[in-house]
Amino acid sequence: MPEGNETTPALVVGTSIIRDSATWSSGDVDTLSCVFHDTVTGIGHWTLWSRLGWAEVRRRYRRTVVGPFWTSLSLAVFVLTMGLLYSALWKISPATYLPFLSSGMICWVLVSALMTEGCVAFIGNSSLITQLPFNLATLACAVVWRNVIVLFHNLAVYIVIALVVGVDVNLNTLLVIPGLLLLAVNGLWVCMILGLLCARYRDIQQVVTSLLQVSLFLTPIFWAQDQLGGRGHILAAVNPLFHLVEVVRAPLLGKAPELLTYGFLLGLALVGWTITLAVFRRHRHYIAFWV
Amino acid sequence: MASIELHSVGLDYPIYGAQRSFRKELLTRATGGLIRRDKDSGHVVVRALDGLTLSIEHGDRIGLIGHNGAGKSTLLKVLAGIYHPTVGRLVVNGRISSLFSISPGLDTDDTGYETIRNCGMFLGMSGTEIRDKTDEIAQFSELGEFLSLPVRTYSSGMLVRLSFAIATAIDPEILLLDEGLGAGDARFAERAKKRVDDLVDRASILVLASHSDALIRNMCNKAVLLHGGKALVYGPVDEVIARYHELTSEAKP
Repeated sequence: MPEGNETTPALVVGTSIIRDSATWSSGDVDTLSCVFHDTVTGIGHWTLWSRLGWAEVRRRYRRTVVGPFWTSLSLAVFVLTMGLLYSALWKISPATYLPFLSSGMICWVLVSALMTEGCVAFIGNSSLITQLPFNLATLACAVVWRNVIVLFHNLAVYIVIALVVGVDVNLNTLLVIPGLLLLAVNGLWVCMILGLLCARYRDIQQVVTSLLQVSLFLTPIFWAQDQLGGRGHILAAVNPLFHLVEVVRAPLLGKAPELLTYGFLLGLALVGWTITLAVFRRHRHYIAFWV
Repeated sequence: MASIELHSVGLDYPIYGAQRSFRKELLTRATGGLIRRDKDSGHVVVRALDGLTLSIEHGDRIGLIGHNGAGKSTLLKVLAGIYHPTVGRLVVNGRISSLFSISPGLDTDDTGYETIRNCGMFLGMSGTEIRDKTDEIAQFSELGEFLSLPVRTYSSGMLVRLSFAIATAIDPEILLLDEGLGAGDARFAERAKKRVDDLVDRASILVLASHSDALIRNMCNKAVLLHGGKALVYGPVDEVIARYHELTSEAKP
């Protein structure tokens, strides 16, 4: 420590992180199993990502009276106004349309937020990434967890609507849980790969945002695929966003999702994770430079 | 036994957006490294570390000496696992704790107690460890009832006291320290010195980057002189400091 005539004051302080022993070498030795191990370790730090997720939710709604229920309130206003308008336009009974629209919108908010916030999963945490050997999968988990928290707040809107119009609650409703798990498994790789791509190419975030705007109308959220006939089914079947929404929406409405949806999402998870791990194997060490 | 080994470790630091404000990037990031344009991608690349071979044993207290941009902080970040060496091999045995910048992840709307929990967790402390150490951290920071208030209401000195108390509560095996500005008052600086000494005593290996000869003489038993990303000398502290001053006077016409 400094003495007498030295001008340097106390040492800097800050945060640190403790890790287990590690070996690094240049690229070639970094195998897929290393990346896999890192990712699994990151997901395992659940105390850390759950805290990060909650902290972000608290930060956003700090000193507001209703807190995260603000998203629920704005969603409720949207669903009620649009729901009544569209049910009048298409001459559908609000009692069937409102539960459909609200459950669809709640799921859509989750799916689209995973994509837009996945884009900033790493950029937004540059101070952590450049100061600590922070596990990247943990940061992606925090994004997913935060949006699951928001989903549970939004569900209040659906529950109220469902109680008022009397939606059928049966065994299929329990499929919400595996549905959310499938959504989270897919959401996680989406956050990781978008986080990486957006850290390197800042334009991708804008592309994602604008594509999502169009997708909201192309995905059967406002309209049911039956309304378009056969074409609607094809449009839905090839649309991953539809399956991501449907896997939670159908159980909420008391129906079982089609097997196609489960198959599609399992396949999506398999392909997505393979690509993500392969990309992370080559590029994850650059993220600290990119953010 | 803790140890660190570097075998011809090199690091190329890619810089993006350099076309627009090249000079600014240069000044802030890499006044010492060798700057060139990457042949394949056309990006500006700074060779921040070049062919470093060092072997650090259990009990070593290493001081990193060098001009601004000589690679001191980059080397610390490589050791911490934040940057990955572009070439070469790095083997670290032992748990690493790094104290670099002032509280990353700090949310100024959190209260003092929440900050202790959050930062403690980033530091790698377990929930029980944080609970056990909260009293001691609170006591050292001397913030008293302020700990129940949001951190944004603190003066900068108070915030430094809190961050310092949290960061030095860890039990490190390999400790990486980057010297920087402190803002504590004189009395706090005295107590801080003792606390850092205790922290360093608990660690098996210390790597400290500093411009202060006195600090390095005090805390280290070996030193490395870095220049342009290369290790010029590695050896006893006095020898390395002498070489550093020669280098400084050579640079002056």
